[in-house]
Amino acid sequence: MKTRRALSESAVAWLFVAPALLAIGLVVAFPLVYSLWLSFTDVNLLRATGPAVELGALRIPLFRWIGTRNYTQVLADPLYWDSLWRTLYFVGAFVAEATVVGFAMALVLNERFPGRPLLRSLLLVPWSLSRIVVGLLWVGILDFEFGALNGLLLRAGLVDSAIAFFKEGWSALNVLVSVYMWNQAPFATLLFLAGMQSISDDLYAAAEVDGAGYWRRLWYVTLPALRPIVFLVLVLATVNGFLMLDLIYVLTMGGPGYDTTTISWHGFKTSFTFFKFGPGTAILYTLTALCLLMTVVYHRLVLARFEPEG
Amino acid sequence: MAALAWLFVTSISYQKNLLARPFHLLPPDVTLDNYRMILGLVRFHAEGQAARMLASMWNSLVVGLVVTAVNLVVGTTAGYAYARFRFAGKTLSLFALLFTRMLPTIVLVPAFFLVFRALGLQNTLTGLVIAYCSFTLPFTVWIMKAYFETIPGDLDKSALVDGCNRFQAYWLVVLPVSGPGLVAGGAFTFMLCWNEFVVAQILNTRPGTTTLPPVIAGMNGQINIDYSVIAASGFLGALPAVILVLVFQKYMVQGLTAGSVKG
Repeated sequence: MKTRRALSESAVAWLFVAPALLAIGLVVAFPLVYSLWLSFTDVNLLRATGPAVELGALRIPLFRWIGTRNYTQVLADPLYWDSLWRTLYFVGAFVAEATVVGFAMALVLNERFPGRPLLRSLLLVPWSLSRIVVGLLWVGILDFEFGALNGLLLRAGLVDSAIAFFKEGWSALNVLVSVYMWNQAPFATLLFLAGMQSISDDLYAAAEVDGAGYWRRLWYVTLPALRPIVFLVLVLATVNGFLMLDLIYVLTMGGPGYDTTTISWHGFKTSFTFFKFGPGTAILYTLTALCLLMTVVYHRLVLARFEPEG
Repeated sequence: MAALAWLFVTSISYQKNLLARPFHLLPPDVTLDNYRMILGLVRFHAEGQAARMLASMWNSLVVGLVVTAVNLVVGTTAGYAYARFRFAGKTLSLFALLFTRMLPTIVLVPAFFLVFRALGLQNTLTGLVIAYCSFTLPFTVWIMKAYFETIPGDLDKSALVDGCNRFQAYWLVVLPVSGPGLVAGGAFTFMLCWNEFVVAQILNTRPGTTTLPPVIAGMNGQINIDYSVIAASGFLGALPAVILVLVFQKYMVQGLTAGSVKG
């Protein structure tokens, strides 16, 4: 009797999850494998003949297997490595900014003060905007000719001539970091706030009795309790940083020169501007590998350090 | 926030006032002409581009709603099973779900491109719906799983005792009290679709078939369109998602934090 129930529970469960897993298999697993295959072939979008998988009327081209040639070609390109170092800087700076600013905003919003409900409800607005709109909005502020910031600085007499934020590569890259931070930090704040509210007041009271001031309470009570959330924020920010494309599209198009070309932009351009799917998917696959690697590394780093303490 | 307010100010300004120096935070005169232009109510030199605004908003709406509906039906059911049942392969498939969450969507797009070309789904809304499910479904399953874990299991048990089968317990008893979770998952999914740019830009290139973000980005790339006009389209395009988030904030915050923290 007991085994029959367990069996039927398993069967029912599979009936419940099957549609979702089937759909995910079709729209994630299959394209993932097919893209991986493409990265080992000489994709030519104009050629209609050649090997293919045929399912009735559907004909999915397979192209010619060329081994790891796409990868060796991509890795031999100095642009790839330049983009990689740039990406690492971009991700590092973005993760640091988003985490620090997100945490600071959470600390402020965790205190009681008049206007807090309003600020809290507005918190998510930057995050809810399409990154295309985020980019547009910052063009309006930073633009050389009509930007509001330049207008204000000029009127206040702080600068003699307008600042061209996007003219020079280094400043353009850092503007990208900050604009992306503006868009994403609210989400980090949201997660930090949720974590802070789950910390028992007794802990703070006890720390206060022991004579701990605000900063010591922050360091010894708040931060240790938030460690899983810090991990989560770091992982999400890292992956988002690696993948960011849309802001580059509206703000810099990877330029000036290649100065804001990250790995994801490089892969995007190779695949969809030049339509070289072979090298393009190879670049994108190295990006995927990086993302997964970072997830594993963070997981090890953060979890390994506090698991022994319980 | 000031940045968003400024976008609104520029959208009701004349371009010549934006260019004027010394600079004014409050425009000397306001106009709704920019909005009239993008809504096709007045003629102007770039009305071809601007005319795509409304059509693309409609496309965005359709894609967003269909993807949300699919997610809520399919994803919620799976989320429920993950929250309630113990079954063979549960850990493994959950791990696979987590993995897909970390996956860059852009890596899937070349495959979509070729397969959709073979299927004739390029430049169709159906194609976008399919592609969007690839990054929304894993999220929805996860958020809904976390939500159902907050509903006491006794509820389903008493339904089973009362003679419901598993599916009836879910459909007739648990779902009707899951409004907040459904709202959170649905609003989040819709927001992701409404704001998505890269996939739509690549897969739906034919004019009139794409969604709003590529159209706005396209106008931004044109030198003959004033920034104030683009600002108007950006502000208008941002409104639905912003309103959605402001209205359903409470539920979304609960759903998102539960879904992320427990991961």
